[in-house]
Amino acid sequence: MIIRIFIFLLIMLGNINLAKAVTPDCSRPYTLALHDHGLLYSAETDAGIDKDVADELIRRSGCKVTVSLMPRARIWQLIESGALDFSLSGIRNAERDKFAAFAWYFSNKYYLLVRKDSGIRNLADFTRNDRLQLGVIRGFRYSENANQMVDRLQAENRLSMAGGLAPLYQTLMLNRIQGMIIEPFDYPTLEEKRIRDLTAIIEFNDPAVPHGLIMSKKSLALSEQEKWRVLVNGMRTDGTMRRIFEKYFAPDLAAAMVDF
Amino acid sequence: MTKPRAAITSKQILLLPWLVLIVALTLTWLVWDHERQSARKELQSQFDFALRDTVSRLEQRVAAYEQMLRGMQSLLATTPLTNRTAIHDYVETLQLDANFSGIRVIGIVEKVSTQTRTAHVAAMRRQGLPDYTIHPDSQDETLAPIIQREPDVGQDQAVLGFDPWTEPVRRLAMEKARDSGLPSISGKVRLAVDHETEASPGFIMYLPIFAHGQPRDSVAQRRVNIIGWVYAAFHMRDFMASLYGKQSPGLALSIFDDVVPTAEALMYRSPDEAAVAESAMENTMSANEYMVVAGHTWTVSLSTQQAFETLYGRDAASVIAVTGICLSLSLALLVWQMVTGRVRALRLAAEMTEELRHMAQHDPLTKLPNRALFSDRLNQELTRARRHGGKFALIFLDLDHFKPINDNFGHAVGDGLLQQMAQRLQASIRASDTVGRIGGDEFVVLLAELTEANAALALAEKIRMAARQPFIVDGNELLVSCSLGVAVYPDNGSDEITLTKSADEAMYRAKDTGRNSVVSASNTTR
Repeated sequence: MIIRIFIFLLIMLGNINLAKAVTPDCSRPYTLALHDHGLLYSAETDAGIDKDVADELIRRSGCKVTVSLMPRARIWQLIESGALDFSLSGIRNAERDKFAAFAWYFSNKYYLLVRKDSGIRNLADFTRNDRLQLGVIRGFRYSENANQMVDRLQAENRLSMAGGLAPLYQTLMLNRIQGMIIEPFDYPTLEEKRIRDLTAIIEFNDPAVPHGLIMSKKSLALSEQEKWRVLVNGMRTDGTMRRIFEKYFAPDLAAAMVDF
Repeated sequence: MTKPRAAITSKQILLLPWLVLIVALTLTWLVWDHERQSARKELQSQFDFALRDTVSRLEQRVAAYEQMLRGMQSLLATTPLTNRTAIHDYVETLQLDANFSGIRVIGIVEKVSTQTRTAHVAAMRRQGLPDYTIHPDSQDETLAPIIQREPDVGQDQAVLGFDPWTEPVRRLAMEKARDSGLPSISGKVRLAVDHETEASPGFIMYLPIFAHGQPRDSVAQRRVNIIGWVYAAFHMRDFMASLYGKQSPGLALSIFDDVVPTAEALMYRSPDEAAVAESAMENTMSANEYMVVAGHTWTVSLSTQQAFETLYGRDAASVIAVTGICLSLSLALLVWQMVTGRVRALRLAAEMTEELRHMAQHDPLTKLPNRALFSDRLNQELTRARRHGGKFALIFLDLDHFKPINDNFGHAVGDGLLQQMAQRLQASIRASDTVGRIGGDEFVVLLAELTEANAALALAEKIRMAARQPFIVDGNELLVSCSLGVAVYPDNGSDEITLTKSADEAMYRAKDTGRNSVVSASNTTR
């Protein structure tokens, strides 16, 4: 009997330890930055996928997290320096791997959105015509082929940089740029019809790119990163993540993005 | 077979300098092009950096002002909007020094509805503002009069009560701030404190103030619970002056409201106005960046000027081009000299050999064949005459009393006379005949293919007559005569020795018989 009680206690203790292991260290307040980007987050309505993911993540962690809004370029800079702990919907590359860790929660492809009247039928058409300007958001990286295109156009001084999606759509409508790189959540709810009527979509022949919680390696120890990753994975496995995406997308698209 | 191949090879060799020139020039072009491109790339990346830096400095400055306004927001989270003293003291404590020189004014806007309007105006008047009214008149359900402005240094009090909600540009920013709960910047405006004449482009940053303890998590909640705004009004010019860091030299910077860079939307232009005109030159780099600051878009337009290229550009490309072309030409010239050196040496040797041979066979004074060449011709004629059974004649000629001319007039005059004599001799004979000089004043004539012996005597006579004509040498008129001996093959000899001997003897007989005469060897007794 005593042995049984002892074993029971051991199991209980083990569970407590396990529970402790997945709860991040909340002894200090954290910072998380959102960027204004289509359905990910709209400052105008203070709502979006990233906002929902952030709210749920903060709730599960039980930590105090200050959420703020910043340009994407500034976010990467602060993640690198360690002044910012988290951001959302980040994609990896060799350079970012040096200072950022990720916890993936969705994946999607990149597309080239072009004006129909520009006569562009494929990616090469765009690259070839040196009168065409591509609008990009400063600090953004994309899938491999998209990155190659951006780098090439950058060298040819054919990029128009912007601090967010809104001016890119505006300049695209005004024909000051003829193309921009988008993701499924990039259509603004406002003016969506007008933009869809005026534009065509060209696919980059790249596989879907995983997006995730960005964690600053400078400010978060490896063990802490793992705990946050467990939280994100928990949201994926229990269907929370899918429910969040279904708020913004048709169920099949939401499923395609979340299950990868 | 060897010969044509050798000819092709030497032709090919002559192409070598051209080939070297083409290769060297191509190489120069490649290096020049590479240098030009990498210089351009470097300039481009300098320019990209300058643009990124400019945008980032603007962002940081806006963020600093945002932070300051958040302080006001925090204050108003603890004290009512109408606590004038607290707000005044707070702004006073902020010590808005030169670092915040961009701020023209900090103010409070209170949200008033048509129902509470009268009570609001009365309350404001009770606070010591007897003339306070909400203006301009508005039919809108929502009124948003300015109720306080700091620093309050006796500026136009009429601004108090001004309702920015009535003005579309301001209202849009106020709505954005209300809906998002975040700082929001207005488009280009003329500040209310500015007089029409001195107006310089400005903008206003709004932050919403929500009712204490009320939820503000959704747009709907925020719309219900907003009680006012705190704002800061800026002159763009002063805002730009308060930036940290230094603008890269040689760049023209313009900032436009929203995404279309028109004159009406111009918020700021870098002070060097002349530089802007210059920037219209070709070969400049320019780019627009659409930066989003506090929910509003500004177009930052940057273009390079001459000074930028001078500062960051490299002109190694032109040095490479000039040096490369010079080196290519030198190299080609060197190769040409090496390749053609042998050819030119051979040609020189041939020319010199020819000259030497000519010198060996001709008399240097009269250029007539000398004894050796004459002997050759004589033997050729002998061979020909023997084969065909033909005739030819040999005439020996000696000038009479030539020695006194040399003694009296000098050798130069004597030589001149000999030269003229040689010319007269050559003028007298046919092209197939040969005249030679075999001694001081002795000449020989070979008359080839003779039909009869008398023709030789006739020519000898013609020569004798020609020699009688006076010679003019250096202004001296000289009269000479000559004695000629004529021998005919085969009559007077069958070989060189016998013929020469016969002609020589005949000539001496002419001398012996009183000179100035022609004697045929046939009349000579042996």
